[in-house]
Amino acid sequence: MASGLAVAALALLAGFISLPILSLVIWTVSEDSWRAMASPEARDALLLSIKTTAISMAIIVAVGTPAAYVLARYEFPGKRLVDSLIDIPAVLPPSAAGIALLLAFGKFGLLGSYLDVFGVQITFTTAAVVIAEVFVAAHFYVRQAAVGFSQVRRDVEEAAMVDGASRRKVFTKVTIPLALPALVAGAVMAWARALGEFGGTIIFAGSFQGTTQTVPLAIYSALQSDLDAAVALSVLVLGFAFTVILTGRYLSRRATEYQD
Amino acid sequence: MSFARPRPVYRFVVGMLVVTLTLTACGVSGGASESSESDGGTRQSGTLTVLAASSLTDAFGELADTFEKENSSVEVKASFESSSTLLAQIQQGAPADVFASADEAKMDDASGDGLVEGEPQVFVKNREVVMVPKDNPAGIERFRDIAKPGVKLVLAEDEVPVAEYAEEILSKADEEYGGDFEKTVMSNIVSREADVRASVNRVALGEADATFGYESDYTPDVRDKVETVEIPANLNIIATYPIAALKDAKEPELAQKWVDLVMSEKGQRVLEKWGFEPAA
Repeated sequence: MASGLAVAALALLAGFISLPILSLVIWTVSEDSWRAMASPEARDALLLSIKTTAISMAIIVAVGTPAAYVLARYEFPGKRLVDSLIDIPAVLPPSAAGIALLLAFGKFGLLGSYLDVFGVQITFTTAAVVIAEVFVAAHFYVRQAAVGFSQVRRDVEEAAMVDGASRRKVFTKVTIPLALPALVAGAVMAWARALGEFGGTIIFAGSFQGTTQTVPLAIYSALQSDLDAAVALSVLVLGFAFTVILTGRYLSRRATEYQD
Repeated sequence: MSFARPRPVYRFVVGMLVVTLTLTACGVSGGASESSESDGGTRQSGTLTVLAASSLTDAFGELADTFEKENSSVEVKASFESSSTLLAQIQQGAPADVFASADEAKMDDASGDGLVEGEPQVFVKNREVVMVPKDNPAGIERFRDIAKPGVKLVLAEDEVPVAEYAEEILSKADEEYGGDFEKTVMSNIVSREADVRASVNRVALGEADATFGYESDYTPDVRDKVETVEIPANLNIIATYPIAALKDAKEPELAQKWVDLVMSEKGQRVLEKWGFEPAA
């Protein structure tokens, strides 16, 4: 009896999640809203999203990889604090993140007010979009990468070192390749989060076609005038989401097989 | 704690939870049908849902308090967003009783789709002003200055009434000033905001150098952070705000009462206090 209820609960949940997704697809097909994808707003939003998430990912991987390694391998005072700090953006409501960024990098912000003296304003620029994306997405990469690094066995690294490889060489030739599936899986998740970033961007970066209006902002903006465009863009992002989940699944499965 | 095998208590709790959820779900639908049956009576309790243009935030907020005081056991739920967002919500079947728009175009759309009950009534007028931060970093002293190079201008999204009125003003100014005035101003825009209040906030925060707002948006809340720059009268527009009860209103009587309050002398006084011009 209990298992019957459990199955019913799962069916309920699956139905609940598939209903909105199905509605998006059905609307797209029946209203022929694909045409709206060809609008310059949609195209600019897509290009901007690709550009900003690419830059964000480059920053996250470049800074996050060594940072994750330190978190996975070394003990130091305040480590737990730093560890929790990295998790905060993941649980912070995106709108709160946007306000926080505005108070830091805005014109009267802690850092922004100094930048303003030099005539640099970050708000309303593409740089602000990248800052918002890095802020909310870095966690997903660093977390996964740290797990990946901690699963690389130390004796393998030490053996390479005994063979005369330098510390840097061991890191790039042994540790990274062994942790690669985890790194890629983390990067895929972080990229998905960066792509979906909305609250921080609209509050901190503003919304302007071609400069700060990424796909999620374009969806919101299209709601004012052209529902078809909003739906078409949502379906596009839905497609991305599926790809991301399947890739993530595949890579993390490979990662565990690798370790075993 | 181990979850290896569900213990009887655990199973009981889950079972109860499912039963409760099912009952709640039934209860919700049952309750809804009940309330729609008793609407014909003179019962004066319930929830009135008002969708209003964001420029009405303060005035309608005060009127909601008045309304609740006059009709005890009635709760007013007001949602303030751009009229275009509200129109989209109404078209998608959002449950609401009253719609107050900042321009007639959105109300006409709602009327045209058969979503409005009766004839919409214009209840207030408004004018636009340019708002700049108190320290006025871009040195905007008169309306023409918004075309100066490097001015960081924000404007509400396309379709939002305040932006449509602004474009009307700019095209009039274009004829008057010439020299690509409108184009130059539009090229100064750095961000399009969700509604008029969001644009004014950008100026209040000092992030933007200027925006278009309504006279009524120069509220006590922003007066210590924002200055207004008048738009020459021959270029300015008169924004007209229509209000109407909605066809699918769950509380048609309360909806009509709300419209009556807004049109009444008392309602008009409150709106005037918040910077609107009476319609008549």
